[in-house]
Amino acid sequence: MAKNVLLVDDSSTMRKIVSRSLRQAGLDFGDIYEAGDGLEALEVLEKENVDIVLSDINMPNMNGIEFLREKSTRDGIKDIPVFMISTETGDDIIGEAKSLGAVGALKKPFTPDKVSEVLGPFM
Amino acid sequence: MQLDRFIIDATTEVFASMVFMELVAGDVIREDRADLGTNISSMIGLAGDLKGLLSVHCPRQVALAVSGAMLGMEPEELDDDVKDAMGEIANMVAGGLKASLLEAGSNVELAIPTTVVGNSIRTSGFSGASTIIVPFSVPDGDFAVELNYVLG
Repeated sequence: MAKNVLLVDDSSTMRKIVSRSLRQAGLDFGDIYEAGDGLEALEVLEKENVDIVLSDINMPNMNGIEFLREKSTRDGIKDIPVFMISTETGDDIIGEAKSLGAVGALKKPFTPDKVSEVLGPFM
Repeated sequence: MQLDRFIIDATTEVFASMVFMELVAGDVIREDRADLGTNISSMIGLAGDLKGLLSVHCPRQVALAVSGAMLGMEPEELDDDVKDAMGEIANMVAGGLKASLLEAGSNVELAIPTTVVGNSIRTSGFSGASTIIVPFSVPDGDFAVELNYVLG
């Protein structure tokens, strides 16, 4: 069944590129929702039927790590998988993200082929 | 550390993966230049073992071409979409620089990018900062990546 995706990034450009890359990668997805930071992402998750979240780390207001931490405390949404898409690739921050429930990470910049390879198993 | 090489590698990777545009690096400039013919500059702060400011300086026609290639559209003005796209370029170049620095044993943290639009924009680092400017050529013109920094 096609999965609904939430893209979380403060850059509208990056949200468009990720959305386009998902289409180009031929992945099976349903609706795509967007949020500009972690706070907006939590609002979307509480209202919409989202199956997987693709989230940046460096964002204003609530960053990706804070988003994971807050999401993990909310019963209705805590089990929705989150995949990090970020320029941040250090073992420490990715390790922290995974310890808070992130299921994987994709480094920016990326190609559509890389999106397909990395996200395919989750879609 | 070969900071100029780190900048060239990071910028080349960003353009190959996300802009789909070939670029050629020019001779590195190691002095503060008054005017790079800039109409839009995206800047991102660096903190940690290397402190400073990484900036991507573009003339209007290059910013329109680069952002258009990224977004799959043809922008006509330096609008919010172009500013956001150029900010993301700076963010990814800084991310690549950060990864290279980490491999070299230096840890830096990145701020969130800021983009300004105007004529003859010039950025300057804090007192005592060193400057590296890497000029690049793309089919629509030239642009530059500038790093103002201090180590330690």
